[in-house]
Amino acid sequence: MSEKPHNVLVTGASRGLGLAIARRLSAAGYRVIAVARSKSKPLTEAIAEAEQSGRGPMHFAPFDLGKIEAIPDLVKNLRKEFGPLYGLVNNAAVGHDGALAMMHNSRIEELVRLNTLSPIVLTKYVVRAMMAEGAGRIVNVASIIGFTGYSGLAAYAATKAAMLGFTRSLAREVGRLGINVNAVAPGFLDTEMTHGLAGEQRQRVIRRSALRRLADVDDVANAVEFLLGDKARSISGTVLTVDAGTTA
Amino acid sequence: MSIKLTIMDEMARVAREHGKTLAPLNDDVALLDSGLDSLGLAVLVARLEDRLGLDPFTTSDDVQFPVTVGDFVKAYEHGGH
Ligand SMILES: NC(=O)c1ccc[n+]([C@@H]2O[C@H](COP(=O)([O-])OP(=O)(O)OC[C@H]3O[C@@H](n4cnc5c(N)ncnc54)[C@H](OP(=O)(O)O)[C@@H]3O)[C@@H](O)[C@H]2O)c1
Repeated sequence: MSEKPHNVLVTGASRGLGLAIARRLSAAGYRVIAVARSKSKPLTEAIAEAEQSGRGPMHFAPFDLGKIEAIPDLVKNLRKEFGPLYGLVNNAAVGHDGALAMMHNSRIEELVRLNTLSPIVLTKYVVRAMMAEGAGRIVNVASIIGFTGYSGLAAYAATKAAMLGFTRSLAREVGRLGINVNAVAPGFLDTEMTHGLAGEQRQRVIRRSALRRLADVDDVANAVEFLLGDKARSISGTVLTVDAGTTA
Repeated sequence: MSIKLTIMDEMARVAREHGKTLAPLNDDVALLDSGLDSLGLAVLVARLEDRLGLDPFTTSDDVQFPVTVGDFVKAYEHGGH
């Protein structure tokens, strides 16, 4: 990679998939700006590791992505502090589950706000900065649930399907400015979001996957790294599924 | 450079980069007849935010994007107060 590292904003980077993405991108030489509400212990360790290794530096930017009205200032301040933003990985999300008929409206609203509204507005301000530069990469983290469906995840699935439609249309809108927009669709991952999924359900997902196992966060992080890199320069508007063949 | 001149300068630059011809501009020309399409206008707003430190279309309560070049310039001049 060139002398000056590209800045990549990763949301929800304090744990789970976002942390794995932040680690991978730092190891690949990017300067990672990790957004989450709280600086978890593993993120603190990852930041220290990145510092010692002398690879891409990692910074923590505390922010509650549910605060839509504060997003313009967040982007403005990050650009002031770090300079041009090359990449954006919209990863942060909540995974509330339960029968729709019983789901509290405030939970439904939170799902839509955090998983759909917030990344769309964040992208709006980041893509402007990319437009001014004439270059950039956006990766939206969707889910196979966005196209397969799963009982108990109707509202969540709607938010993830929304990100797929968003990805395709935005790719068309900003393509001629040198900005690529893609999505990754992970299958079931072992993270805090899914810790409620009991042993039997988990076993069933494994049995149904072509590879007879689950994809892990590092598999998905590799896909994100690929989509941000030079080797993906001609890829835009696609969805890269990483699910160990669950939907094959 | 005045706000107005900065805007005109940036409009010319975006038009050049996008291979568009800028129409002769005065305050009454409709923005979409200026020679820039909606994407060009988006790039313009992004660049102006960098140059002027202003984004009047986020800060204002007005949901409508200005119609004429004159209104567009005014939005920046008012945003600057
Ligand atoms: N786990 C799976 O099986 C699976 C499968 C397919 C797709 N995905 C997708 O993968 C992505 C990551 O999921 P995960 O499993 O890694 O989830 P996770 O372990 O629950 O992590 C969620 C991350 O988002 C952050 N976050 C949550 N609310 C936030 C807020 N209001 N403001 C800022 N940050 C917030 C959290 O940090 P703080 O709490 O510190 O704010 C955390 O870093 C999501 O888009 C999810 O839909 C997951």
